[in-house]
Order: sequence, then C-alpha cells, then structure tokens
Amino acid sequence: MVHPDPTSALSKCVVYFNDGKSRTFYSFDKKHKNSKPNQSLGIRRLEKMLMTSLKGTWETAIIYENMKNGKELAKFKNGVRVFYYS
Amino acid sequence: MESKQAAKAYYDFSTVFQRTKSFIDSHNEKHTNLKERLNANHRATAELITRLYAKQLNKAITLGDTLEELPGFKTYNPSLASCKGCTVRTIINHKERLKAAGFIIKEIHRGKSGIEIWINPAIFHTQQLSTTHNEISSDISQIICDFDQRVKNLHPLVHEQQEQKNNNSNVDKLITPEEGVRLSAHNPNITSVTGTLQEQDMNTRKSRNPAPDVQKRNGQLDAQGVGSAFLLQLVRDFWKYVQITLYPDILLSEPEETEILNLIWASVYRKFKIKGSKKDWIGYQEILYKRVDMVSRWLDRNPNRWVAPPHLYFHPENKRNGFDKTYQWFLKQEILKKEIRNQILIQKAATEWKAHKKGEGKYRYKTRLQLFRIQQQCLSQYHDQRLLDLYEKSVYKMVNL
Repeated sequence: MVHPDPTSALSKCVVYFNDGKSRTFYSFDKKHKNSKPNQSLGIRRLEKMLMTSLKGTWETAIIYENMKNGKELAKFKNGVRVFYYS
Repeated sequence: MESKQAAKAYYDFSTVFQRTKSFIDSHNEKHTNLKERLNANHRATAELITRLYAKQLNKAITLGDTLEELPGFKTYNPSLASCKGCTVRTIINHKERLKAAGFIIKEIHRGKSGIEIWINPAIFHTQQLSTTHNEISSDISQIICDFDQRVKNLHPLVHEQQEQKNNNSNVDKLITPEEGVRLSAHNPNITSVTGTLQEQDMNTRKSRNPAPDVQKRNGQLDAQGVGSAFLLQLVRDFWKYVQITLYPDILLSEPEETEILNLIWASVYRKFKIKGSKKDWIGYQEILYKRVDMVSRWLDRNPNRWVAPPHLYFHPENKRNGFDKTYQWFLKQEILKKEIRNQILIQKAATEWKAHKKGEGKYRYKTRLQLFRIQQQCLSQYHDQRLLDLYEKSVYKMVNL
C-alpha cells in the first residue's frame, strides 16, 4: 500500500480528537503513481476521511497548505464544515 | 565518414551505431537466458533511441551548447511508438528490457513534457571505444538477415551516409551548401530523408492530446474580437449562479473552486475553441442560465432528487449525470414549448373562423380572403414555417367543413 508522503503532500489536516489528543494527516493527491498532483482531490479525500472513518471521534479539524506558513484551506467543527474566508 | 578532428564536437551516427551494436552483442554473449537477451526488435528500438538522441545532441552542439555534462534524451513515448510503427506499450516494454541490460541507465517521467532517458556513457562519449571495428556492409547484411523486412519497415542501419549523400532525396536542396552546417535535427519538413516513407523526425512533437491547463492559457483565450477577460468572467458568473441555485450549502476552499472553474471552462464552454462574437457568448450564457434554472426546478419538485457534486457534475468525461446532458433536455423542452404555442395559436385561428362563419366576432365584416390574410400576417411574425404549414392545413379543414 502506498501512503501519503509528508514531504510531497500538497495539504495536511490537523485533527483535534475528543480525547484531547491531536494528529496530523497528510493528503494523497494523486490518482495514480505517475499522475499530476491534484490538490482539490487531496482535500476531498481528507474530508471524506473525517466524515467517514474518523466520524464522531474529533472535535475540530483544520486543513492547511503543506508548507511553512501555509494558508488555512478548510475548517471543520463537530462534524460540520464551517465557513471560512480564504 | 566523419573525420577524427570533428568527432570531438559532433556525434557521428555510424560510430554511435557501432557502439550500440557492440554493446548489445557483448550483452547477448554474456547472457544465455532468452529473457535476458536483447532480440532484433529491442535492437531496433535501441537504434532508434540512439539515432534520435544523436540528432538532439548534434542540434544542441550546432546551437552553441558545449555539452560538458551530457543532457538526457527528451522524448515522448507515443512519438517513439509512431516513429517505430508499434504501440506505446511495446516501447515501454523495450525500454524496460534495455534498462535491465544497462543500455538505458536512468529514466525520468515528466508527465506532459514527456520522458527523459540517459543512455549508457559507453555509447555516448566523444572518445573512441576500444571495440573491434566491424565492416559496415557485413553489419547491414547481418541485420537484414536478422530482421524480416516484410513485417517491419525498419530504419537502415547507417544513416550518416544516406543523410549526407543521398542524391535522389530532396535533402540537399533544403540545407545550405556551406560545409559543416547540418540539417536541423528535428526539422518537421524533412520526413523522407532516407527515401523510405517514414516519419523520422517526430519525436519532439508533443503528445496528441495534451491535458487542459487553464492557468497557462489564461492569457491566450482571445476568441476573435472577444477579450479573454470577458470570457473568463462568463465562467466565473456562471459558477456563481450555479453555486447559488444548485449548491447553496456547499463550502469550498480555493483549490477546489479553481478546479471547478477549470472543469467548467473545459466542459461547458469547450475551452472557448468555438469562435463567436460577444453577442453570441451572451446568448449562450442566457441559455446556460435557463438550463441551470431547469435543473433547479427539477430538484425542487421532489426532495429525493439530487445532482452530482460540482467536481463531477462539470467533469468533461462525465457522460452519465453531467451538466452536458441538460442540453438535450433543454432542446426537448424548447421544442415542446413551441409545439404548445403553435397549437394555441391555431386553436385561436380556428375559433375566429367559426365565429366568422356564424357572422360574429371581430372580423365579421371582412371577407374570407381578408381574414386569411390577416391571420397569416399575424402568424408570420413568429418566423416559424411549421406553424404556417399547420395553419394552412387547419384553414383547409375549416373551409371544407
């Protein structure tokens, strides 16, 4: 299985769980090995992960650009995507 | 043959070919297993690659490149395939085999800009290798024996001679007679260099269907007389309208929105490839808004109905439940609307005829011909031939009643 690479991922998702812990997930932006990375695909996949496999376990989740001082791209609170001005 | 002095700054085709041949021969001698050996077809691919690579290098040299460090061979798999007359898969398989044999030492995939291959430095170096010198004519006869020429139209082994000395070809007429000036390595006009009708200089051509890239083309979107800013504004306006009517609850980040705009540009507006005036585009935009309204009304009629999320709804490849399908739907609806309008008009005309017969109504003092002319004039304002035909039929019925 191929895992997302923190160095080459285009976005990352910081998840703050209900039990107080936090964890960073990195996006997987490619459809196949040699494809062009698609950032929005990565964001959609992160969102899907939050809403299905991690459902109910987290309080806040924020998706950032995976770079130093990266912009905030999306924010989720208690299972709902909240409005965010980019 | 190329002189030794010039060999320093020029890759001689025949020497490079001999090195390729000796490399493959020595490899085959070492390996007995059939799966490790390079057969005639692999050899042909290797020769094709060396020939095109040598051309590329020579061109770089004529352009004034010093080539202190050898650049890779930049090409595309499909162009190699069409050069050799085989499929892309074959080229990939052959490259795998050549990599295993050490002929290709490195390969980088660059997506849209093709691939870059590094050939074994034993073949591409300016000094002569200490390999045994083979007689070229015997090489050719051996190769001819190896290949079945009826099956594949292979390039001749020695290109140098033919490219320089083929008096029958039109090559010499195209190049300047000055000594030392060579053919451009990838001149698209010269495809019949060796007399065989093969396209030889295709490998720098871009792949046939490059992926869309709206960012790159933003500056060039000019469709005759219509500014690109205006056209792009149409895309943005359309997306705003769709977002309000079809996806009021959706929240999107910047990259997602950019992707959707790109998809709309590609699928709904066909990348603005169709030429049209500003008025045409505004008319098209109006139709698009009507189509969106139609979808929104359809959604409102039943809570169980849904449309795909925007990145799928506007995807150019979505043939199943994409926005493109609404065009047929729109046409059908427009035709239906016209039919209904026509029926109403004809019914109205029929009641007027009936009233006229009874000596009632607005036109009771007119003659039948006058009534016919008045009604015909009214209906001709709609510019619909079908409506007039239907009217004539109904009048015929009414008169003959």
